[in-house]
Amino acid sequence: MSWFSRLLGARDIPGVALTARQEQLLGGWQQLPDADLRRSHYRSRYVVIDVEASTGNPDTARLLSIAAVAVIDGQISFLDAWRLVLEEQAAGADPVPSPAVAATESLAGSSLADELISFLGFVGKAPMVAYNARFVRRLLQRTLAEHLGVRLRLPWLDLAWILPDLFREVDAGPARLDAWLEHFGISSIRRHEALSDALATAQLMQIAVAHAARKGIDTPANLRELEKARRHMHQSA
Amino acid sequence: MSTSAVDTLISACIRFLQAYPPFEQMEAAALRFLAERVRLQHYPKGARILSTEMGVAHALYIIHRGRVRAKSTVGLGSGETTSSTLGPGQAFAIGALMAQRPTFGSYEAVDEVFCYELAADDFFALTQKSSAFNLFCTQHIAGLLKQSQQQLQLQFAQRAAEQKTMNSPLAAVVKREAVAVATTASIREVVELMAERHLGSMVVVDEQEVPVGIFTLSDVLKRIVLPGASLAQPIATVMSPAPATLPLAANAHDAALLMAMRGIRHVLAVDEGGRLRGVVSERDLFKLQGAGLRQIRHAIDAANSLEVLQHARRDVRQLSLTMLAEGVGAAEITQFISTLNDTVTRRIIELNLERHDLYGIDWAWLSFGSEGRDEQTFTTDQDNGIVFICTDIMDRELTQLRFLDFARDVNADLDRCGFPLCKGNIMASNPDLCLTLEEWEERFARWVRMPEPQALLNATIFFDFRPLFGRFNLAHRLRRELFRQTRGNPLFLRMLAENALSVAPPLGRIRDFVTSTDPEHPGTIDLKTYGVRLFTDAARVFALANAVEATNTVQRLRRAGAVMNIGTDDLAASIEGFNFIQLLRLRHQHFEQEHGRPGDNLIRPDDLNEIERRVLKEAFRQARKLQARLKLDYQL
Repeated sequence: MSWFSRLLGARDIPGVALTARQEQLLGGWQQLPDADLRRSHYRSRYVVIDVEASTGNPDTARLLSIAAVAVIDGQISFLDAWRLVLEEQAAGADPVPSPAVAATESLAGSSLADELISFLGFVGKAPMVAYNARFVRRLLQRTLAEHLGVRLRLPWLDLAWILPDLFREVDAGPARLDAWLEHFGISSIRRHEALSDALATAQLMQIAVAHAARKGIDTPANLRELEKARRHMHQSA
Repeated sequence: MSTSAVDTLISACIRFLQAYPPFEQMEAAALRFLAERVRLQHYPKGARILSTEMGVAHALYIIHRGRVRAKSTVGLGSGETTSSTLGPGQAFAIGALMAQRPTFGSYEAVDEVFCYELAADDFFALTQKSSAFNLFCTQHIAGLLKQSQQQLQLQFAQRAAEQKTMNSPLAAVVKREAVAVATTASIREVVELMAERHLGSMVVVDEQEVPVGIFTLSDVLKRIVLPGASLAQPIATVMSPAPATLPLAANAHDAALLMAMRGIRHVLAVDEGGRLRGVVSERDLFKLQGAGLRQIRHAIDAANSLEVLQHARRDVRQLSLTMLAEGVGAAEITQFISTLNDTVTRRIIELNLERHDLYGIDWAWLSFGSEGRDEQTFTTDQDNGIVFICTDIMDRELTQLRFLDFARDVNADLDRCGFPLCKGNIMASNPDLCLTLEEWEERFARWVRMPEPQALLNATIFFDFRPLFGRFNLAHRLRRELFRQTRGNPLFLRMLAENALSVAPPLGRIRDFVTSTDPEHPGTIDLKTYGVRLFTDAARVFALANAVEATNTVQRLRRAGAVMNIGTDDLAASIEGFNFIQLLRLRHQHFEQEHGRPGDNLIRPDDLNEIERRVLKEAFRQARKLQARLKLDYQL
């Protein structure tokens, strides 16, 4: 069966057994057209992602939860959000885990593939946005390859690089999401919980997009170039 | 979509909203509806969130974070703006949204602003779902109405200030050119001149035009007729010498004082050379003071001729204008006009009763239509009838003839006193409207049982009857019988409701108002047909359905509304809407008549200022609400 699906191009990495239904859904996702990154921010759909992980090393950490909030045409709708909790965080970090949520969302391996497929369905081919995107991307790519045999090849935008460029007067320090949230007065429902952080990050994205547009950086592609240029400058320096 | 994620975000949104009015009062289901449908939008510092140029408001804005500066234009052309800053939890564009029009003024982000935005359709759905939210919006609109009424009053106050007051110099008070005769003129000449010009007094002057005497109508009796003086004598022999004079620069108050001190009714205004320049009468001053209600009533009650009544009618107009200027509400003014018109009508009836013997018959004079509802404006024609009791059927024809004779005279006198004859012949002199109690009852019963179009039309005129003179209990009996009929015929009320719905509020989908397509009056709205009628028709159905005896629209709405469980705020809003339309009519009629045109009800929305247009639109929306209630009650 794996040779067959490889022929169809749905799967990048062989060796993961999926049901026919899962293959079909995954194939549908694969065949979605790529997002047009040259449309205005206000005609685009961004998916803002946040994850919780067991450690800070993306190559070894276990994924504990994923949350995503869409920014469509510059707006956030509360009906357009996605979350998956794989494992409750250690006690203390998350003081009030709802037992109901834990029961339905902590998953056995069998349905994890379904959940990840549903995640891809939510994301579509939209450009992904995160704060410290590299870590999030690495972790997600590893998880998706492991459980679905899929290589995630979507455009990513990293607010940790974009924001300092747009707001040069703000001294947020490297990798300080809290500093940015505090600067813009964005309150989090529950800090360090993936969904809350995804919503807060989505609001940062709204601010970033509005200010970028004022500087003529008015498409996802332009934002990517901005990020690339800054990375290039700082990493070669 | 993942339900748990959505639930988390929506609960967070609800928790935020619950910290602010009116959301903290809102029903849980409505709040959830709101949170599910809002979209979070960001506006960078300095961004314009909403302004007039953006066209019809398409969303409700609830500030989530940041501050918004709201600038609104106060009056048309004044360029004056008020500015206020809104913060988290505050909502805007309610008025524009409800009126489905662009906002007045603008909203700008002071810092990084996040707003929850609710699309117009969802906003209207929410007003349906949540009575707390609906109340909030209604109160918001009521606030707008109040603001506008204060503006109207301001306008009239300015106008009143331009008008003459008791501080005006006599030069401004004297109207007509002084008519004077020389001392040598004969009594005959003087009396003939007075009769010809309808003058109550004549000033006698010397060669230098200096007044030396005054001769009044009452002197004719005392000094000429009774002593049998010769009419050939010069006027100087019978005039009152040394008349009271004041310089032209003296003010009206001085004149009033002089009259009171010397017990006289005329003061002569003279220039520096002492020459006659005019006559100030007690009546002139009376008008300046703005004759009080009691004085006018007194004058009417004491009137023994049609002329006095004609004067009184003018005083009524003058006084109602003053009331308009002083900011008295439309309800009070129309009620006031009706009361005084009633008094005039009663006096005319009394005067005619002296010539028509109706002794021994029980009867009552009835008013219909706007008069019956106590809602007369400056232009009103007659709508009246007679009900009488005829104990012997053999006498019926003869009795009716006597009443018709009487009614013809009353109708003619009313016409002379400024109540034009009714074009539709809805007058007591019409044999169809001069009927016995049984005939009226039978007629009403027939209309109720067979609600054909003409019967429904009749109902809208005649069911608003009110007794004006005679045996009021006849009207009361008639009303009870009417309720008995309407209670037993639900179909009639349904048809009447349907009839009331035949005219919709002139609110446009694209433009603000739907105006007349009549080529003679393009761009106008008839505020009678498309304004007050919407309210009076609905109120009539409410009143008949709930056996409310009142005929006045406001009273009907209040009393029936209480029985129908219409909220007091909703009720207040619809009454204010009705009163606002009446106020616009009164103002318009006054303006038209001031410019020598017959007062009509055709308003040009384009001539109104921004707030007035906005409030008029709200008023129509209130009418639409009443109609919606009719539709609901009668499943139409």
